[in-house]
Amino acid sequence: MKYYFNCLIVLLMSCSGDNDTIKIKGSDTEVNLAVQLAESFHRINPGIFVSISGGGSGLGIASLLNGTADVANSSRSINEIEIEMFQQKGSPVDSFVFAQDAIAFVVAGDLPIDSISTTDLKNILDGHYTDWTSLTPKNMPINIYGRQSNSGTHDFVRKRLGIDFTPYAKQMNGNAQILEAIKADHSGIGYVGAGYVAHRGSGEIKVLTIYNEKNEKAVSPLDASMIAAGKYYFQRPLFQYYKAGSYDKIRPFIDFEKSEEGKRIIQSAGYYPVNK
Amino acid sequence: MTIKRREHTDWLLKQVFKGAGLITIGLLGGIFFMLIYNSFAFFVDVKPIDFFTGFQWNPENTKGKYGIAPLLVSTGLVTLGSMLIAVPLGIFTAAFLSELAHHRLKAILKPFIEMLAAIPSVAIGFLGIVLVGPGIAKLFGIANGLNALNGAVLLSVMALPTIITISEDAINAVPQTHREASLALGANKWETLFKVTLPAALPGLIAAVMLGLGRALGETMTVLMATGNASVLPTGFLDAVRTITATIAIEMGEVPYQTTHYFALFAIAVVLFLITLFINLLGEYFANRLRKFQA
Repeated sequence: MKYYFNCLIVLLMSCSGDNDTIKIKGSDTEVNLAVQLAESFHRINPGIFVSISGGGSGLGIASLLNGTADVANSSRSINEIEIEMFQQKGSPVDSFVFAQDAIAFVVAGDLPIDSISTTDLKNILDGHYTDWTSLTPKNMPINIYGRQSNSGTHDFVRKRLGIDFTPYAKQMNGNAQILEAIKADHSGIGYVGAGYVAHRGSGEIKVLTIYNEKNEKAVSPLDASMIAAGKYYFQRPLFQYYKAGSYDKIRPFIDFEKSEEGKRIIQSAGYYPVNK
Repeated sequence: MTIKRREHTDWLLKQVFKGAGLITIGLLGGIFFMLIYNSFAFFVDVKPIDFFTGFQWNPENTKGKYGIAPLLVSTGLVTLGSMLIAVPLGIFTAAFLSELAHHRLKAILKPFIEMLAAIPSVAIGFLGIVLVGPGIAKLFGIANGLNALNGAVLLSVMALPTIITISEDAINAVPQTHREASLALGANKWETLFKVTLPAALPGLIAAVMLGLGRALGETMTVLMATGNASVLPTGFLDAVRTITATIAIEMGEVPYQTTHYFALFAIAVVLFLITLFINLLGEYFANRLRKFQA
């Protein structure tokens, strides 16, 4: 009986003694990438454990605040209220942009349009344009293939354009399903993470370049140098927030993300590494 | 002593089984109470009349449109479609199995039909994306096959095992003397089946359909994957639809807690719960009538 009791104590202690584990929580958009990075990182540094969980950007920042996470992944920047809360706790927060995410708008390869303005996109996605006549010589109805409203991509596009999506937009399960639908539908338009189209340069799908009224030059989401310069309209930095005081603990992992190997993983996951 | 001990065990076990039964009822009551409680908070913010008559479901909209009509019509359309396919197919399969099939063929067919129920709904949704959807698109010459028809076809596959199994029990339960009397009066096999056996089994057949309907109504994963999820009032089977179940599954993950949108999801869950409860009760009622008929 005493033996079992001792065992239990050891078990319980092992739960609390995980100070050498780097705990990362937050954005579901980034969770896959973070897991890939952590796996490779652990292979190189077997002594350091990294635990990753998703749950949303807001949850990540809340966990960082109450100490259950060391790093908060976030696909949005921290807001005023959250910064204030960190200051009240007396632990200032610091951030690191570890990758850039770009969202590409795609149409079928035979649709006679190569670039589109942000105003036209707005009109298409909120349902003002229901056919292609005002943009192309073809008179075909516009079919929108988007993501479901729990997707970060959906939310980002919506907020970046400042619109409400038309309810006629189909909501697909993921990037791959959108691409398949666009391939089959000659009058469809959809949006996917740029990484998903970067490796598939086939003729069936065309990635639109995007310009807005301020800078006339249309920018492609596949142009890494323009992304690095921050010139693409639908790009967003992926943040990692941490408490300034605990930088030493998480530094090995951040250094790994900046390394060549880290950049390679970021790129193969469909994001753009940050060049510094 | 031994008698006392036996009585004691008997009493103890009785309590255990009673407790198990009560837990089930408690769970049902608890779920229902939680749903109702949370949806009350919703009706404080949104007028019930707007909820039931609004033609738009768009909670992200700045004005917050919470009309259940598109979701209700979507659910209804997909379920109705699935029943149009599954009911004739299911009842005729059951009739074939119990009246016409050779017992060796039946021994093979029955387990296979029951195995149909064991296919995970995700796998069926997957079939909808890669096989049925593109097939429908080609057949009707439309751009994309993720629509109500696709969902209906898949749901009918999922409802079939329920319908067939219960219908077969119902047809088997019709006393042999009915058939013999009919045949003796000079009716042939078909006339006996359609004019005597099936009408006699009708309460059981209705129960089968109701339980199959309940299965189709509550299904989430398949419709989420295969119906396109556009939350607009559908005009036909070739429109993309978004059912109540899919809406809850999609939106629950990211909704900020304790907001109108959050409570709205509970409100539509209550509506779905009441519909399925009603249908299941109806099914049980007819099943009970069948049992009385047998006795």
